[in-house]
Amino acid sequence: MCVNKTEKMSLAKIQAIVNQCDRCGACLTVCPVYDVAHREAAVARGRLATVRAMAEGGLTPDSKMAEAFEFCLLCKACTENCPSKVKTDEAMIEARQYMAVKLGRRAKHRLLAGFLGNNVLIKLAAGTLKLSKKTGLGGLLRCVVPLEHTKAGYREMAAGPAAFPALSNIPHPERPHPGKIAYFQGCAMKMFFPAAAQATVKLLSRTAEVTIPESACCGMPHLAHGMADQAQALAKKNIEAFADADRIITDCASCGSSLKEYGHRLAADPQWAARAQEFSSKVMGLSEYLYDVGYQPKQKNALRVTYHDPCHLVRGQGIKKQPRDLLQRAAEYVEMPRADKCCGGAGTFYLDFPEASRKILSEKVKNIESTDADVVVTECPACLMQLAKGEQQSGRFKAMHISQVL
Amino acid sequence: MIDEKVINEFSQIVGARGLLNENLDLFTYSYDASFLPLLPAAKPDLVLKPQSTQEVAAIMKLAHKYRIPVVARGLGTGRTGGSVPAEGGLVLCLDEMNQILELDDQNLMLTVEPGVKTQDIYQFCAERGLFYPPDPSSLKQSTIGGNIAENAGGPRAVKYGVTGDYVMGLEVVLADGSVLQTGGKMIKNVTGYDLTRLFVGSEGTLGIITRAILRLIPMPKIRRTAQALFDSLDGACAAVSRSIKSGAIPAAAELMDQISIEAVAKFRNIELDPRVKAGVIFEFDGDSEAGLDAQIGEAERLCAECGSVQFRIAKTKEEEDELWSLRRGMSSAIAALAANRIAEDISVPRAALPEIVKRLREIAARYGLQLAVFGHAGDGNLHPSLLADLNAPGEKEKVEQAVGEIFQAALAVGGTLSGEHGIGLTKKDYLADALGETGMAAIRSIKKALDPAGILNPGKIF
Repeated sequence: MCVNKTEKMSLAKIQAIVNQCDRCGACLTVCPVYDVAHREAAVARGRLATVRAMAEGGLTPDSKMAEAFEFCLLCKACTENCPSKVKTDEAMIEARQYMAVKLGRRAKHRLLAGFLGNNVLIKLAAGTLKLSKKTGLGGLLRCVVPLEHTKAGYREMAAGPAAFPALSNIPHPERPHPGKIAYFQGCAMKMFFPAAAQATVKLLSRTAEVTIPESACCGMPHLAHGMADQAQALAKKNIEAFADADRIITDCASCGSSLKEYGHRLAADPQWAARAQEFSSKVMGLSEYLYDVGYQPKQKNALRVTYHDPCHLVRGQGIKKQPRDLLQRAAEYVEMPRADKCCGGAGTFYLDFPEASRKILSEKVKNIESTDADVVVTECPACLMQLAKGEQQSGRFKAMHISQVL
Repeated sequence: MIDEKVINEFSQIVGARGLLNENLDLFTYSYDASFLPLLPAAKPDLVLKPQSTQEVAAIMKLAHKYRIPVVARGLGTGRTGGSVPAEGGLVLCLDEMNQILELDDQNLMLTVEPGVKTQDIYQFCAERGLFYPPDPSSLKQSTIGGNIAENAGGPRAVKYGVTGDYVMGLEVVLADGSVLQTGGKMIKNVTGYDLTRLFVGSEGTLGIITRAILRLIPMPKIRRTAQALFDSLDGACAAVSRSIKSGAIPAAAELMDQISIEAVAKFRNIELDPRVKAGVIFEFDGDSEAGLDAQIGEAERLCAECGSVQFRIAKTKEEEDELWSLRRGMSSAIAALAANRIAEDISVPRAALPEIVKRLREIAARYGLQLAVFGHAGDGNLHPSLLADLNAPGEKEKVEQAVGEIFQAALAVGGTLSGEHGIGLTKKDYLADALGETGMAAIRSIKKALDPAGILNPGKIF
C-alpha cells in the first residue's frame, strides 16, 4: 500500500515533466547519444514518450526501458535547446528511481552506491590507487586509474624559452575573502585526482582560510541510479559536516551541481528544508569562486590551453565565462568547437555503454586536436577521466584539472 | 504482424544494423510531432533504415509482394501525423540517407538525399554565397524529404515561395519497387506531365522520394529586421498588403495578434503599450544599403498610415535576434498559457486576413475558448491556436467542433485547410469539403494508378 503510494507520487512527478514535451524533435539535433546511436529510443523525445506511455499504462516496464532511461548522459543539452525547456535529465532520474523500485537495481550500481556511501572504503581505495600510481601499477590498471598530471608537470611544460616572465606588476590579492571557506572534496577527486585536489587546496589557501571537513558523497551517483533515499541521507551528512563554513567550494562540477540542489532535494522535509537551502546557497564551483574574488594567477605562460565545459557546470550551474576568463589570465587560451558538448564520461555511462561513450569521446578528441592546444582543461573529475583516455588515444595534448593550470 | 521469414528477407537487404523490431523501438517510431494522442500507440511491425536507393527499391519490391504497408519517415517532425504508421507495417526511416551529393555551381542546383536536415542544406549553401530559401520553423530538425513530401513553407514564402518552388527534379521509388526519375536541372520543361509537382506534397502516398534536385539562388548580401506594432489587426494586415504592392516586398512578414503578443510579453516580463492590438515582424533583404533603406523607409511610411504605434529597426545583430526571438518564442509562450494548445494551419488569400481573423474570434467566443492567432501575414498562412485543457470534461468535444468551424471559415473566405503542414491523419475528415466530389475522385484515381495495392502510407490524406 505504502509502496503504491510512493509509486503514484513518483509517476505524478514524472508526468508533470514529460507532458510538457510536444514532440517537436528539437532535441534530435543536440543529443550526443542520438548522434552516435541514431535510434529514436536514444533521444530525449523518445525517452519522454516512453515514460509518458508507461505512466499512462501503454507500455509495461521492462529491462529494455530501464536501459533506455540509463542510456542518457544527463547532460541537459536537450533542455537547453528545447522550446519548452523540458527537463529530461530530471525525468530520467525520476524514471530510473521508478524502474529501480519496479524491477530492482542493477547489482553493479548497487555496489557502486554502497561503496560511494562509505567513506572508509573511499579512503582505502584512494590509498590503493595512490600506491598503484607510485609502483607503476597504474599503467596496468589504466582502465580504472586515469592518468593524472601534476602542477609541477604543468610548470615544466610551461617553462623553457616560450615562458613569459612572472607578471610582478599584477597586484596579488592577499586573502581577499574574509570568511571561512570549506573545500568539498568529492569521491572522484579523493580517489583519482589527489594531486589536482592538492592544487585546489593551494589555490584556495591563497584567497582565504581553508578547512577541509570530512565530506560524504554528494549523492549524485545514488540519485542517477534510483537510490534517492540514500542520496538524501548523504545530503544530511554533508549539511551537518559543513555547518560552520561561510562558503563551500568544490572542484567537481557534478558535486557542485548536486550540492546546489540540496535545497530543492530536501524541500519537502520540514526538519531539513531550511538548512538544506542555506547549505546550497553557500556552494560555489572552483572557477566561479576564483572569478568572484578576482583571483590572479602568479604568472602567464605561453602554453596553448583549451577548455572543455563539464555539463554539470555549463548547463547545470550556468558557469561558462568564469573558467575561460581565468584561463586567459594564465595562458594562451583558444576555444574549441562545441566545447560544451558532453565528453561521454558522465558518471558511470562510460562503464555501462562503453561503445557509445568511446564514439562520443572521439568527436571531442577531434575538436580538441583542431585547436592545437597543449592542454585541455576542465573542472570535473568525471570529464577528466574521460579526457585522459582521449589524451592516450591522441597523444597530441594533455588533460588537466583547472586547479593545476591556474 | 510480419512473418519471421519475411523479416529475414528484409534483413538481407539492410542488414541487422538497419532493422529495428524490439517493442520499445517500434513504440518510439509510432508518433510524430502532431497533436495525435500517444496512446493507443500506432506501432509499426518493423522499422527499416535503408542507406541507398537500391535498398529502398528492394524493400518496396518485397513490401509489394507481401502487401505490407510502408510509411516513409525522416525525423518525425510532421504536424499532421503524416509519418505515423496508422495501419502498422513498415516504417521506412530515411534519416541515414543524409548526403549532399552534388553542388552544380554553374546551374545553381544542389542534389541531395532525403535525410539531409533542411538547416544543413541552408548552411552548406550559405557558406558558398548561395541561398536555399524555404524555412519551415522546424528547419533545424526536419529533413528535406519530409519538407518535399509535405511541401513545407515558412516565413520567407511571401517573397521566395515554398519548398515545392525549389524542387526541380526527383528520384522516386514507386510502390512496386521501380525507380522513377522526374524533372531535371533545366528551367523549362513541358515533356509529359509535371510529375515532380505531383510528388511534392504527396505525403508519402505515391512513392518514396530518394533523391532531389533543388534550385538555389544567390544569397542576398544584406538583411534587416524591423518590428511594427499596430493599434488594430486590420491595420497590421493592410500595412503588409500595401507594402508588397508598393514593391517593398518583405522577405518575411510575421503577424501576431494581441493575445500572442501579450503571451510573449508575459513570458518574458516585457511592458507593453496598452494601445498595441497587433504586431508584424518584417525582414527585408537586398544587395545594397541604399536599396534596403528605401524599402524599409517605404514600409515604415505605409505602417504609419495604417496606424502603427511603433516601428523599430534592429541596428545590431543582437537587436535583430531579440526581435526575431519574440516570434520564435511565440509557440512556447502561448503553450504556457494552457494545458493544451491545438494549433491549426489554415491558408487564405492575403486580402481575406482581416475577415478570417474576425471569424476566428467569433468561433472562439462561441465555444468559450481562448484563441491566439499568429502566422505568416505576407502569404495568408495562419496558425490559429486554441487553448484548452483537453482533460476537462466536454473540452475535447468543444475543441473538435471549433476546429471544424475554423476549417469551414477558411474555406468560406476562399482559403484552404493547410498551408504547410499537410493533411495527414488530422485533417482528412475535412478534405472533401475543400476539394469537392470531383477533386476527391481525381486524387483517388491518381492514387490508384500509382499504388493500386494501396500499400503506400495507407489511411493518409483521404
